[in-house]
Amino acid sequence: MLIRRLEEQDQVELFNCGDEPLNNYLRRHAWSNQEKSSIGVTYVAIDEAAPRTVLGYFTLATASVPREAFPKKYVRGLPPYDLPLILLARLAVDRRFSGKGLGHFLISEAFRISLRVAEDVGCRGVLADVYRDRITWYARYGFVALEGSAPDGPQRMFLDIRTIRRALKGSP
Amino acid sequence: MDMKTRQNRQPPQSVKGRRKSKFQADLAPAENRMVRGLKQELQLSSNTDFLSDALALFHWAVRERRLGHRIFSETGTGERKELVLPRLERVAPELALPRVEISWTARELESLAALVSREPAEPTETLRRAMRG
Repeated sequence: MLIRRLEEQDQVELFNCGDEPLNNYLRRHAWSNQEKSSIGVTYVAIDEAAPRTVLGYFTLATASVPREAFPKKYVRGLPPYDLPLILLARLAVDRRFSGKGLGHFLISEAFRISLRVAEDVGCRGVLADVYRDRITWYARYGFVALEGSAPDGPQRMFLDIRTIRRALKGSP
Repeated sequence: MDMKTRQNRQPPQSVKGRRKSKFQADLAPAENRMVRGLKQELQLSSNTDFLSDALALFHWAVRERRLGHRIFSETGTGERKELVLPRLERVAPELALPRVEISWTARELESLAALVSREPAEPTETLRRAMRG
């Protein structure tokens, strides 16, 4: 099993994670968003025995929060720059492979890429807009729910890059 | 030695339709010695030839890394070392993440500001396991 960037020849039509917007994103938008619009980069998990079949994927992009957007009482304690973030825009596993740890494999790679980005160009944390029934799963990795997300929409969650770095350094 | 990187401020002269630029660089003594040593070793007589060869090599490395290719040296016994330069990694496609705009509510921003203002949390066991793999 390996994770690499989505390629044009990858078979995405049969991908089914049970969620139509996530299926549709991979089938219809992921490639053009990556190569033409440069809106997000999609990474796919594949089995070397069937190297074109997508078993799971995640999409990353960068974002930032302008410093002046933060409430005044916090601005003084923040660095005098916009806050750079990585957006974990989507993460999905094909139903045929769910329950086998593939989601863990995918998010681990997303964290590693985030650390490399932080190392090279700077990044303060990872942001994810999470389906309500997946909040617990993300919380296990240390994602913290932000207050103020619309109750009928996804929950916005944040994980500090320094926490990820600590986890890496704490590894044997 | 005084290698200059500042562009010539003289009006550009056309030499058969091509414009030439002058470069000026202030080198530390150790770098200066390195340049002299390399010029001698490579039998390069001028700074222009030195810069031209160095530029060609750097240009090739950037192009390769931009394509996602990794650059290695290999010994006669097959031992490999990867060339990793932070500046080159900036052009590597796996790190070239595009930028998007996110809309925020005031409470989300307040919540985020509170989180980034405090000391980072200790990693959970699941996160530690993810980074061990």
